[in-house]
Amino acid sequence: MEKFSRIILVLGAILVLAITLPMLYWMAFEKPIKKPFVLYSCIDKDFFILRAGTPITFEDNKGNKYTREKYEQKLPMWYFQQLMVSGLMPDTINGKAIDMHDIGRNKSFERFKPEDMNCPKPKFFPMFESQSGRASLELPNDYFRITWRVEFIDAGTNKILEEKSQLFSAALYHKDFAFPATKIEGLPTTRKSCDEGYLIVDSSNELFHVKMIKGKPFVKKIDLPDGLKFKHIICVDFKDKKYYAYLFSEKNEIYILTQDEYELIKFPVTEFNAENCDLKIYGDLFNYNVTVEAEGHTDVIILDKEYKKVDSYHESWPLLSERTEDKIFGYLFPGELSMEDPNSKYINFYWKGSGNLGWIILNLLLLAVHFLILRRREAKLKGHAVDLALVAVTGIYGFLAVNLFQNKFFD
Amino acid sequence: MWKSIVYKEWLKIRWFLIGFTILGIVGIGYLFLKVQHGFTFQGGTSFWYNILFMGLQFFGFFKYFPLLGGLIIGVAQYFPETINKRIKLTFHLPLKENNVLLIMHAIGVVCLVLSYMLLLGVFITLSTIYFPSQMVFDSVVSVTPWFLAGLVAYFFVALIVLEPVWMYRLLYAMVAGFFVNIYVKSPVIAAYGPAIPGLFVLTILMSVVLLFSAYRFRKGEM
Repeated sequence: MEKFSRIILVLGAILVLAITLPMLYWMAFEKPIKKPFVLYSCIDKDFFILRAGTPITFEDNKGNKYTREKYEQKLPMWYFQQLMVSGLMPDTINGKAIDMHDIGRNKSFERFKPEDMNCPKPKFFPMFESQSGRASLELPNDYFRITWRVEFIDAGTNKILEEKSQLFSAALYHKDFAFPATKIEGLPTTRKSCDEGYLIVDSSNELFHVKMIKGKPFVKKIDLPDGLKFKHIICVDFKDKKYYAYLFSEKNEIYILTQDEYELIKFPVTEFNAENCDLKIYGDLFNYNVTVEAEGHTDVIILDKEYKKVDSYHESWPLLSERTEDKIFGYLFPGELSMEDPNSKYINFYWKGSGNLGWIILNLLLLAVHFLILRRREAKLKGHAVDLALVAVTGIYGFLAVNLFQNKFFD
Repeated sequence: MWKSIVYKEWLKIRWFLIGFTILGIVGIGYLFLKVQHGFTFQGGTSFWYNILFMGLQFFGFFKYFPLLGGLIIGVAQYFPETINKRIKLTFHLPLKENNVLLIMHAIGVVCLVLSYMLLLGVFITLSTIYFPSQMVFDSVVSVTPWFLAGLVAYFFVALIVLEPVWMYRLLYAMVAGFFVNIYVKSPVIAAYGPAIPGLFVLTILMSVVLLFSAYRFRKGEM
């Protein structure tokens, strides 16, 4: 029994070391990657790149360097406030007279990180009154959930509002909603220009638009192409009111859902994977700037206002596994364990193996050292078979653990 | 003889256990007094909103309390055994040494688990007054690792206190500190969901670790 307790201790220590040592290693040796900030110039019809560093550099797609002022002048949609202050804002761009209100109305920005999708989601939402006649939105006193029906619960009393619940349940039922909801996405805040309710995915993967108008439910079932399933939805509130949301399909396609017509339009972007890529979509008067950032590269896809691809930019940099610090890591550790993952907000046991097999050398070396220690102690090797196996498999973690919790008493 | 051992262990920890449990209930009472205050001054709507969308963990105050309980009960139960090496008397009883130790340990675990269950029960009961079941469930998912951390702390205290060599005590304490840290990360509500089965298994496995230092103690490691 003592031997078993020792093995448990050793395994516990290996677990702790597999978390702690790599964490300390990366704290000491990790070098930041300065990702380029790429924008599309509506004047030159080309990409302009800001590179962080000392000093910050500004260049175009061909490598020509610019001063900050010249760079900003090439990107009047992004830097229009600065250009206005400097008096350098052009009156016309591409033959089109520039109106500040137009620029503001067409400007949009949305950012997505994989952890926004891989996280515990709220299960209750406020149903705002979409046409209250008031200048600003007000938070209702109740929150709804959709389980086997729609249930509104008064937050003050924690009691179900039966009448309202039945009203909305019936409205969804009559639109063939398959309870329960698997996804409820909206903008549950009063800090938006107006309320457009929620986009809800039911148990049959059908998409519904639900909101409340003058106390009554509004439910719209949205026609989807066969087999289209959404894994994430980002509702938006842009001034141009062109679409309700960005929707990511199971195949990592990016769609928008147009306002009022409920037309699904697919962005011509194939570089995106919602599981491990950041996404930034910046819209202006002329284009949409879709930036996909992965571990080792960035892709910028430019769309026109009809969502057609105009141009694209690709830049890559060494993957972590190709960098010196990771190669050295691979010679020291067989892998690393973490309770956190950059692409998820869930706590779990995340194991990541080393990028190369160099650790096998150290493992064998430590195995030999441990063997010599045992020989010096004149220990019976048979009684140390588990220790030797642990050192062989887990390397430095096992070596430290078996020597911290020594089993010399059992010789 | 078993009854005598149970009674001896109970005598050692009873006031600490009762004191910790009462303090825990008072702590939970304070926690819900704050909830009540929040409902009165902000309104239930805003309070719910802060939990659902602003990341408020109204039970965050309670985070290290189960851990404290594990430490207190562990020290109360095992420290007296090291004074003048009293535990050697236990080892001289006509019983298997490991069985005696495991019975002692089981008594501590049962007492601690009962205290935790009482505290968790009070927490759930009061939560259901203010929040619906799904929000209560998410809260329970968030606090469960904290209670498991308390049990793990108890197991490591037994290991460290019975360890005869000071240097090893320090090393074990370091391992214990990093190990407990696995249970007390600061994520969003219900983020521990996928890890809880694994944490349960780890906690159960750690329940036997005291046998190692007790063995070293018996063999007279200096």
